[in-house]
Amino acid sequence: MAQRGSSSARWLRGADRSLRIALAEPDDWNPVLHQIDADFGQGVTEKLRADRIPIILRMDGGLSFYLVPREWLDRIMVESESFDPHMLGLWLGDMKRGEFKLALPVLHHIVPLTDKRIVVSRHAAEAFTYGRSILKESVLKIESSLQRGQQVLVLNTDDECMGLAALSVDAGRLQLLSAHELVAKNVMDIGWYIRRFS
Amino acid sequence: MKEQRQRTKELAEKYGYQNYMIERYLALWGEEETLQFLNACERPIRNSIRVNTLKSSIDSLEPRLRKKGFKLEAIPWIKEGFFASFGTESPGSLFEHMLGLFYVQGVPSMTVTSVLDPRPSETVMDIAAAPGGKTTHIAQRMENSGLIVSIEQDRLRIKSLQGNILRCGVENAFVLRGDAKRISQLQIKADRVLLDAPCSGEGLIPLDPSRKTSKSMADIRYCAGRQDEMLDSAVSVLEDGGTLVYSTCSIAPEENEYVIDDFLKRHAEMRVVPIPLEFGVPSYTEPFGVRLNPSLELARRFLPHKNGTEGFFICKMVKRS
Repeated sequence: MAQRGSSSARWLRGADRSLRIALAEPDDWNPVLHQIDADFGQGVTEKLRADRIPIILRMDGGLSFYLVPREWLDRIMVESESFDPHMLGLWLGDMKRGEFKLALPVLHHIVPLTDKRIVVSRHAAEAFTYGRSILKESVLKIESSLQRGQQVLVLNTDDECMGLAALSVDAGRLQLLSAHELVAKNVMDIGWYIRRFS
Repeated sequence: MKEQRQRTKELAEKYGYQNYMIERYLALWGEEETLQFLNACERPIRNSIRVNTLKSSIDSLEPRLRKKGFKLEAIPWIKEGFFASFGTESPGSLFEHMLGLFYVQGVPSMTVTSVLDPRPSETVMDIAAAPGGKTTHIAQRMENSGLIVSIEQDRLRIKSLQGNILRCGVENAFVLRGDAKRISQLQIKADRVLLDAPCSGEGLIPLDPSRKTSKSMADIRYCAGRQDEMLDSAVSVLEDGGTLVYSTCSIAPEENEYVIDDFLKRHAEMRVVPIPLEFGVPSYTEPFGVRLNPSLELARRFLPHKNGTEGFFICKMVKRS
């Protein structure tokens, strides 16, 4: 965890002199930790963090959280009016209006740390990357204890992570659904890389 | 003289170039090679991809793409690089591309990073980094360790840099928007610096025929001035003994050999070193009859008519300890 009392003078400031990068203080970090753990299991956030340091980057209307190696700290905390930091290390997610939203690149790191996942057919996996949601007929594997509202990682049959979905039914009730009924709603998918940045 | 002017005009009209460009090609290469160049620029450049070893092994992606009917052919001097034929499909729309398993990249561009030869745990600066082909390549060569400082000034282009970094799973980059001429303010010293400098793009004619008419000699001179300044900044952040690679996608000696010749005069601590990869052709030591530093022979060029790629210039230098 970041240590309190770090000198703000050493934080990187943007061209308008406003603070851009800072170590994440416990007040910033704890809500993130609690939300990821609540969604994916106790202790997942700390395993994800490993020996990296949480950093916050101030963006329009919120905070972006990144994990960086400890040895970077001296090098990124440089005061400069000529440069605006845009990203660094592993992007963990964004906090806006008190709600934390995971970042897409971190999902595949969570795959081996949680059983909150759903495996879908090849066709459904590709359709998911175009923003489609998941129907009963596409589901190949899911933990039966997962409940409605649960966020789940969406995997294809090669265990590649396609994105994140929210269950719209209890997994235990799956057998009662017909083939075309909705199982999980698309929250984010890797097609975003193309849609957002092309 | 009158005959030469007439010939210049004829070729400019036939191939759709501005007169000053043909004039320079004739002075640099003579008529036969100029014609080879002009004809080569009318032919399409082969597609190429780089396997992103941060997300996939070469051994697993190659058969996966072949199974989908795509043809791959290894690029001899880049182990992760392949010439690729995708038929009617756009490689950027493939599922494997979305997953970040490969990057669509020109052969010269991926050669630049191979020449830089970044190693795990080093500190590397990528100046003028968008759209991210070189930053993502550097990251995979560094196995996502160490630190890459990627600088880009353009507000729109930095978005594409970010997108490619995220898609390719790069986790060792620090992306900053700002003027590369001020990088010494960051107080970060780098083991290696890559300056793929903004240029007139005269090497891209096979990819973008509009370049035949879009730039003037004044544009080339303006670019050369910026390149001088950016090189001076690059050397200011380079560790003693560190490596600087300068490249452009221009074939104009004014943006390449002349720039490096001047740079070597200003910076006695820098020397051009051999590139231990077999590609392209040696760069020029006497372009337009101007005798330059003989070590420029160690730098390399890609030329459409010699190598079947877009035009490129790559020079590797080391800072004396």
